Amino acid sequence: MALAFLPGIGQAIYFRDKVSWQSPVPASESVTAAQARAWGGDVLWVDARPDPEFASDHIPGAVPLNEDRWNELFPQFLGTWAQGKKVVVYCSSQSCNLSRDVAVRLRKQTQPAMQNVFVLEGGWEEWLKTRR
Amino acid sequence: MKTHFFLGLFSLCLCASLRAELKWDQTVLELHPGLGDKEAVGHFKYQNIGKTPVRFKSVRTSCGCTAAQSQTEEVPPGDKGEITATFKIGDRTGTQIKTVTVETDDASHATTVLTLKSVLPEMLALNPSFVFWTAGEEAKSKTIVAKAGKDFAAKNLTVTSSNPDFLIKVEPSDSAGQWKINVQPKQTARAMAAALTIRPDFPKDAPKMFYANASVTGAPVMPPPVAKAPVPK
Repeated sequence: MALAFLPGIGQAIYFRDKVSWQSPVPASESVTAAQARAWGGDVLWVDARPDPEFASDHIPGAVPLNEDRWNELFPQFLGTWAQGKKVVVYCSSQSCNLSRDVAVRLRKQTQPAMQNVFVLEGGWEEWLKTRR
Repeated sequence: MKTHFFLGLFSLCLCASLRAELKWDQTVLELHPGLGDKEAVGHFKYQNIGKTPVRFKSVRTSCGCTAAQSQTEEVPPGDKGEITATFKIGDRTGTQIKTVTVETDDASHATTVLTLKSVLPEMLALNPSFVFWTAGEEAKSKTIVAKAGKDFAAKNLTVTSSNPDFLIKVEPSDSAGQWKINVQPKQTARAMAAALTIRPDFPKDAPKMFYANASVTGAPVMPPPVAKAPVPK
């Protein structure tokens, strides 16, 4: 019985830091496209995808913010942010983790300024599907 | 009946002995890139220990920041090879875990998930890296704490502001390798912003720069007023 637990314990110790790709975004930190749309002008859309994907197409009004060029893009993002605005971060699809990484970094590096940071469920793919 | 049984058993043994199988040296790699490194490269080595060739169907990564490629499409029995995973560090910090999903035509192990764990060097942590004042707020000083990681032997920091309307003062903290960066706007009546460039004296030959931001924002976005239900008379 103890042997059966060994691989699991080993993995838990090895990945003691949060395993981002296995950690679902808590429900309180994610938002559906419909919910975010309902917030109207109070939303600041943040595109966490790599630059070429943002250049190809993005949610209208979205600003790029990815960790490839964080130091350069973050000040630009701040230029569009206002206190009280809800920040909704998205990446390609449900399986990508870039939006979660950007959301976590935003909350951590800007606390207590920016706590209304959400991850868009399903990402860009979902937004395209539900686009009216 | 007996003949059928032995035929079946023989076929089963034949299939088992002829099956393809990729044996991986490691499916989890931990990398420790250096201070100035732009990328971290992991080599996942394998060998086909089966009796038939193995064909790669797909090699996918969990993140656009990681590229993975196989040297070959097909691995003959006994051959060795590797999947190379390249993680682009960019402006990332901390421990980064990315995966590579390999699909083959090996029915017994069709999918293998390879994990690349990149432990980026602890440099200078800024907490927070953004301070702000709302319009009309008292123009008091706010503090950014800069803390050097164990791999970062900085002794001094120089901080400059892109906007002279923000005053900057750097004080060493009580603990070694830690500083307080006090930022104060000259006014909060109108919106303004500044990029703060933080230059530690480390590494000596090519000091790394870090960035923080300060701004005086416009009036906060207020939530829409909630319509009050009429009070029954």
